[in-house]
Amino acid sequence: MSSALAAAAPSDSEIALRVSGLGKRFGATVALDGADLALRHGTVHALVGGNGCGKSTVIKVLAGVHRADVGRIEVAGRTWDASDYDPRTARAAGLRFVHQDLGLFPQLSIAENVALDAGYPTATGSRVRWGALHRRVAGLLEAYEVEADPRTPVGALRPAQRTLVAICRALQDQEADQRLVLVLDEPTATLPQHESDVLLEAVRRRADKGQTVLIVSHRMPEVLGVCEDFTVFRDGRTVAALVGRRPTEQDLVRHMTGVDPAVSSDRALAPGAIRSGSPAPRAKQLRRGSSPAADPGVVLSVRGLTGGPLRGVDLDVHRGEIVGVAGLVGSGRSSLLRTVFGELPPVSGSVDVRSADGPARPTQDIGSRMDAGVALVPEDRAGEAAFADLAVRDNLTVTVRRRYWRPWGMDTRAEEADAGALVDRYGVRTASTAIPLAALSGGNQQKVVLARWLQRTPSLLLLDEPTQGVDVMSRADIYASVREAAAAGCAVLVASSDLLELCSLCDRVVVLRDGRITADVAGDDLTPDGLTALTQLTADTPPRSAAHQGAIR
Amino acid sequence: MSTTDTVPVRTDGEPGPEPRPAARDRSPATSRRLRGLAERHALLLLLVAVAAFFSFYPPSAERFATSANLNVLLGNQATVALLALAVILPLVCGYFDFSLGAVAVASTVLTAGLMSFRDLPLGVAMAAGIGLGVAVGFVNGLLVTRLGLNSFVTTLGMATLLGGLIQWYTGGQTIQAGLDPRLARFGSATLLGIPQVVYVVVVVAVLLWYLLTQTPFGRGLYAIGSNPRSAALVGIRVQRSAWTTFVLAGAIAGVVGVLALARSGSATADTGTPMLFPALAAAFLGATAVRPGFFNVVGTIIGVLFVSVAVSGLTLSGASAWASPVFNGASLLVAVGLSHYLGRSRGVRT
Ligand SMILES: Nc1ncnc2c1ncn2[C@@H]1O[C@H](COP(=O)(O)OP(=O)(O)OP(=O)(O)O)[C@@H](O)[C@H]1O
Ligand SMILES: [Mg+2]
Repeated sequence: MSSALAAAAPSDSEIALRVSGLGKRFGATVALDGADLALRHGTVHALVGGNGCGKSTVIKVLAGVHRADVGRIEVAGRTWDASDYDPRTARAAGLRFVHQDLGLFPQLSIAENVALDAGYPTATGSRVRWGALHRRVAGLLEAYEVEADPRTPVGALRPAQRTLVAICRALQDQEADQRLVLVLDEPTATLPQHESDVLLEAVRRRADKGQTVLIVSHRMPEVLGVCEDFTVFRDGRTVAALVGRRPTEQDLVRHMTGVDPAVSSDRALAPGAIRSGSPAPRAKQLRRGSSPAADPGVVLSVRGLTGGPLRGVDLDVHRGEIVGVAGLVGSGRSSLLRTVFGELPPVSGSVDVRSADGPARPTQDIGSRMDAGVALVPEDRAGEAAFADLAVRDNLTVTVRRRYWRPWGMDTRAEEADAGALVDRYGVRTASTAIPLAALSGGNQQKVVLARWLQRTPSLLLLDEPTQGVDVMSRADIYASVREAAAAGCAVLVASSDLLELCSLCDRVVVLRDGRITADVAGDDLTPDGLTALTQLTADTPPRSAAHQGAIR
Repeated sequence: MSTTDTVPVRTDGEPGPEPRPAARDRSPATSRRLRGLAERHALLLLLVAVAAFFSFYPPSAERFATSANLNVLLGNQATVALLALAVILPLVCGYFDFSLGAVAVASTVLTAGLMSFRDLPLGVAMAAGIGLGVAVGFVNGLLVTRLGLNSFVTTLGMATLLGGLIQWYTGGQTIQAGLDPRLARFGSATLLGIPQVVYVVVVVAVLLWYLLTQTPFGRGLYAIGSNPRSAALVGIRVQRSAWTTFVLAGAIAGVVGVLALARSGSATADTGTPMLFPALAAAFLGATAVRPGFFNVVGTIIGVLFVSVAVSGLTLSGASAWASPVFNGASLLVAVGLSHYLGRSRGVRT
């Protein structure tokens, strides 16, 4: 590892940004322990590492949101001690950020969110020129293909659109300003393929013009495709800095885990790796061979479902089957899952859920669906799944709180034990189960949400972007847990914008377009490229790729 | 988004003996735990310190630590304590209810009026007073949870409305004649040397503590307060639960009204604000203790005692009439500031 570091050191003149020896503790948690990072001018630099290794913390230190305990920060030749570095310094030095939690104001409109960052255009007497602002923001939204009015409150947008607004905000100014350093923390985690392609293209273009980009992502194929340099973190430390070299996915995973993939092959089960011949398909084959014989029962049967963006969906999911849902933003993936969960009332059509003991009550609300064994991991973790200020333990047991009730009170001992077991089982990195969920890294919060539902041993599991923000290693573990649940008879419906994920996890994938199921793919036809074609290229609108190339220029 | 450098350890709000160390707290975080401990019990320590100060401070020492003063203090603060308990119920779910002070006065006035003007028996009059509280809570809950109106504005409007109705009903007069003497006797009697009204507070506090910390329903309320969208998606009936807290709070405020009548033996028309603000102060002070960052029963009781002991001490040492509202206001400001700070220092990020 030290050899990787030694070979790294590029000459000082080409360095746009360098942090050295950064240390940061949160109480007893050591988030950063002497982290180093150096970005070369005009490059796209990837920062990768497992969940909770300190990536977001470094970025928050760079933004001046957190103050590091020790370390130095150097931007374009000027050096600051970490202790006298603040948000204004960061902005003045030309750093622009998209944080993992985006940092948007949900009640304010898109235009106001954008203007709060760059300033409102004003006329004489400091009157805000709303017209000018709205026109400029509308232009930005068009460039990133966000179909929304600048006056819409950000809270009303879909998660992917919110990400794009945050990106617009960070990238709004000075295309030509070469000093800019863009720092993007998991910008693509909730973005569908097409949108992330658009973003990565824009990023690439800016680097070609001389700007510098730092990007955090758990999607390895993506960073391998767009980045020149790589820095790998483990436990708050820099373990590898690969400059101007093309590592393989295995190389990166090896650095992240510190374990040779040959030694522990299942840990290296990245989605990319799965496609290139790993043990995963075998597991799938095994289960598929046994499940139809065991019980051909239909757990979920959807007929002629309309409501929201849905325009007549028919779908059956069987016991032990993992069905994927692919589609563009706005195709109705999330609406389908939410309607099945009883959150959204269908306008017409029917949703029948059959639990282990016969058909469920016909009432369409979340409570009776949960009683019938339905579970939903929602797409918007911060807004719809997390209880940020409640303890990790409370977040885990909230779906089963009745289990612990005794006439003399809650059985906190049992609750504590169960929460601890879940934390161990799903590899959640946390100092204790008593700390608030907000103190966990993004990926670890996601694991808590998944664990919350998987402990109920659901008979129908609805997953909406289940592995967003989850590192490569844990992703394999989550797939294994989902397969295990399926093998035990659970029916699974997965909506994901990561087509690789759908292909490696699902038995069958249905494609939603304009609120209808337009394709149903299984077996050998199930490839990412095939799905890309089905979701995009056959769209009624003119080919999207051509459209966006026009917009980007 | 700023964050201090520690994450205090919280426990689940058990007031009793110190909870066992968290099983998974592997870190040798003794200092952190000490900090957490200090933070949880700071208000209690402050209460003890203030009480000790006034017991030895010459101007007040003579009369402060006497059982007579303690009786007056506890008896007079029983209504504020009970009202503070009512206030925290909607607050746990993230809603304000500013009408509770007015509800209490309306209940006092109605109970007295029914006995005085209509010669109704005590039981019926009391039931009507408490029933009024339930009804107002029901309407507040309906407006806030079902129709989605802002709780701050809605309940402020309700308080103003009730204030006006109270004026109309009493004609601005104090109702004194024709009250059942049993009520006043209950209000001034003591049991085992402690005013009887205090036992009412204790019973309600225990019930509420059980409801909030020891039942799935109470857990659900805290979840709603944390994130109502997430709460709905884990099967918590958000609207119904929040509505229930408004109704319960209204009922408790109704009881407060009856107790106030029992203590004072007469019903005077006022807006309820003089009682509501100390109760709010106690609730917010309470949210800095025991389970810092969250409204909780035990903290609220400590908050009431703290405010009342301090005010009583100040009065006995010869401070003027303005000392009490100034102290109440100041402690409310400090409490709100502190709970805001605690909320942030828990590292809240979305
Ligand atoms: N506000 C906070 N309070 C307490 N601990 C924190 C806080 N923020 C982060 N941590 C801890 O610091 C460590 C690093 O977290 P960080 O968010 O930087 O991870 P990350 O590399 O971005 O992970 P992910 O890939 O999951 O986003 C984690 O152990 C986390 O629990
Ligand atoms: Mg992160």
